[in-house]
Amino acid sequence: MEKTIVIVDDSESIREVVGFTLNNAGHKVLSAVDGQDALRFFNGEKIDLVVTDLHMPVMDGIELIREIRNKDDYKFVPILFLTTESQQAKKMEAKEAGATGWIVKPFVPEKLLAAISKVVR
Amino acid sequence: MEQFKKKFLEEANDLINSLEDSLLILEEKPTEKKIIEEVFRVMHSLKGGSSMFGFAKMDAFTHELETIYDMIRSGTLSVTREILDITLAAVDHLKVLLENGEEISETQQNNQNILLSRIHKIINKDAQEEITADTATSNVAAHKESEDKSKVYEKVPTYFIAIKPEEDIFRNGTNPMLLIDELHTLGHCKAFVKTSRLPSFEQLDPEKAFFYWEVFLATDKSIDEIKDVFIFVEDVCNVTISRIADDNLLAKTVFIRELDNFIEPVKETGQSELEAFVAKLKYNEPSLQEEGLSFRADEAAPMKRLSINNIRVSSEKLDDLMNLVSELVTVQASLSLFADNQDNPELAAISESIEKISRQLRDNTFEICLIPIETIMIRFKRLVRDLSNELDKEIQFTTEGTETELDKSIIDGLSEPLMHIFRNAIDHGIEPAEDRLAKGKPRKGKIAFKSYYSGTNVYIQVKDDGRGIDVEKIRQKAIARGFISPEANLSYKELLNLVFLPGFSTAAKVSEVSGRGVGLDVVVKKINDIRGDVEIESQLGVGTTFTIKLPLTLSIIDGLLVKIDKTFFVLPLSSVDKCFEVQDDALVKSFNNKIVLDGKQVPFINLRKEFDIHDNKPILHQIIQVNHDDFKIGLSVDTVIGEYQAVLKPLGRMFKDLEIVSGATILGDGTIALVLDPARVINTFDRETLERREKLYRENHRKDIQLHAGY
Repeated sequence: MEKTIVIVDDSESIREVVGFTLNNAGHKVLSAVDGQDALRFFNGEKIDLVVTDLHMPVMDGIELIREIRNKDDYKFVPILFLTTESQQAKKMEAKEAGATGWIVKPFVPEKLLAAISKVVR
Repeated sequence: MEQFKKKFLEEANDLINSLEDSLLILEEKPTEKKIIEEVFRVMHSLKGGSSMFGFAKMDAFTHELETIYDMIRSGTLSVTREILDITLAAVDHLKVLLENGEEISETQQNNQNILLSRIHKIINKDAQEEITADTATSNVAAHKESEDKSKVYEKVPTYFIAIKPEEDIFRNGTNPMLLIDELHTLGHCKAFVKTSRLPSFEQLDPEKAFFYWEVFLATDKSIDEIKDVFIFVEDVCNVTISRIADDNLLAKTVFIRELDNFIEPVKETGQSELEAFVAKLKYNEPSLQEEGLSFRADEAAPMKRLSINNIRVSSEKLDDLMNLVSELVTVQASLSLFADNQDNPELAAISESIEKISRQLRDNTFEICLIPIETIMIRFKRLVRDLSNELDKEIQFTTEGTETELDKSIIDGLSEPLMHIFRNAIDHGIEPAEDRLAKGKPRKGKIAFKSYYSGTNVYIQVKDDGRGIDVEKIRQKAIARGFISPEANLSYKELLNLVFLPGFSTAAKVSEVSGRGVGLDVVVKKINDIRGDVEIESQLGVGTTFTIKLPLTLSIIDGLLVKIDKTFFVLPLSSVDKCFEVQDDALVKSFNNKIVLDGKQVPFINLRKEFDIHDNKPILHQIIQVNHDDFKIGLSVDTVIGEYQAVLKPLGRMFKDLEIVSGATILGDGTIALVLDPARVINTFDRETLERREKLYRENHRKDIQLHAGY
């Protein structure tokens, strides 16, 4: 079934490849360049999943997760963050902020879809 | 994937440029937290992207760099000259990697190794046990699908999994049902829900989780792979996994039948009870074949377009667009001409709106093609830094007005000559610190870059406060080279301009940096190629300034269409000031080539005379007053036809030395009009202008000239 997925990353290529993969899997993709930018999508519309990078200018991923968890309408939305193997501390911080899961970079499209199917279906 | 790779490469290019920029700022403010973060972030993005798109070498490389900046960020390391040097060298190497992809030559590989070892040294020196850098981070390959879906499940072991979510599990956006679903994709699976924790309806908080599950799973996957299902919920969900049989219990009908009786929904199943239950039923019955499960994402889903604010377009497409617009403007000109001759008001109206639209289209297209000078500045900042290091000179580089926009093709053509000018300024211009101090100048040399709009032109200035140009030396050299005769009486300006002659180089010794046998004449040529002009001003001991004047765009200009006898000419509207009508007498009888316009004496050039056109001399002439530098000067023509959008076409090789004409344009009826370059026309035909400018210059610089030019 089609899901509405917000992807947040400051890298255009990552946004594009993630967006392309998700589009191909039949989802609706909303993309944002940073946390601040992403918040405009949380306006009462249904959002099924958020995929966000952690390192971003203006508003980073952790803060975005906190913001989303503070919104009554969205506090149960699954949130996946993109991370690298080396960032254990960041991972914990993100989980504590309320992230549902993570996707380890680098990832191939199948891995991305697999991670997503873990939290939304 | 290929298209993304390409996109990534473009993006990486941008990232590397911004990285370079940040690094240079960092050099000045080594403790600036924001910049360090920025550098780290760029490294991080580069690393992420490169590993994702399979650039293993770049990935490995950026990984190490990222480590350094992570350490700086966390305060274990501070920014030093050494680190910056290595990083900048690394940035250069990254550029090589970007260019050549994964196939790099042996020397480049060597470079990479040397750089890596230096980076390692930095990392290890300051944090002994911190990082165990395994360079080969990219093991994406460990992602193989189990291909044998139709495997017989009889032989696979059976696991018992108890899943007890904490009440608050929803807070993280986790849906535990999906975990159960996922277990079903691993193999043959049977799940039981347990309701013992469920409170009465009045006490039920719908935001909390009360169910828990017990699952029997027969799978060929390892226990670690089963654990992977729960990877996101480790801390919010209590999961126990135990292996209860070496073969597939779920394939045994007895087991299934008994299982329903054995499991009680309101009671947790104890480990020992379960073991006893399994032992009793084991090996009781032949197994049944199980159908393989197959799960596939819907691949045929339609691709959707998302709304985007910015798009990247290849520059070829822009060039094509520009060419098409040029063609359109030409065709539109024929249409207007045709409409004018038809005496058909409807057609005239259509033709007029088309003219309007094509004008707007033209302006829009221009705007698209404009890019800020900023884009090439990084290169120069870097050049100044590297060169001043190499030559052991201290230089402060300032930029101003880098947001000034110019046509893409002009910017392309600009970087090489600018590079040359900068090299000159650093190598020949700025003196070593000791010399400067001795001369009473500040220790640090100054190079200032400035660009600004003026009318439809853009001016670019590179100014240094170095030793300046010694015109006397130039004179002697020019005499020695045979450019001028020893008796020649040249003005200060003319002497200075000698440096633009081919084969003229003032440096006493040939240095590696700028004296490579390519003189400033190349700069002039390159700038002329993009219809620009270069001027040089210099004062001995004070400094040198190069000023480049450029048109905003190259291909279409707004012009004034005029006619002399049967020939059409176009003058760029930007330089036209006013038009006057004068009697033939006034021209013929004019004294000293001056004519009174608007109550002022204005010098004029009789184009009829200069172009050798003698037929059909009119009684009334039109004088087009144009602005030239700070002066006004008249150009006489026969008739003024009107405004005209001229699409500039090159005249071809045969006329490339014809300076006064910057190109040709095709009129609506197919005739050709020559586009004149007023500045060149004036410089070619009017000695007076030169003399007048000279006088002004002489007044300003009387002293210098007396000293150095022998006046």
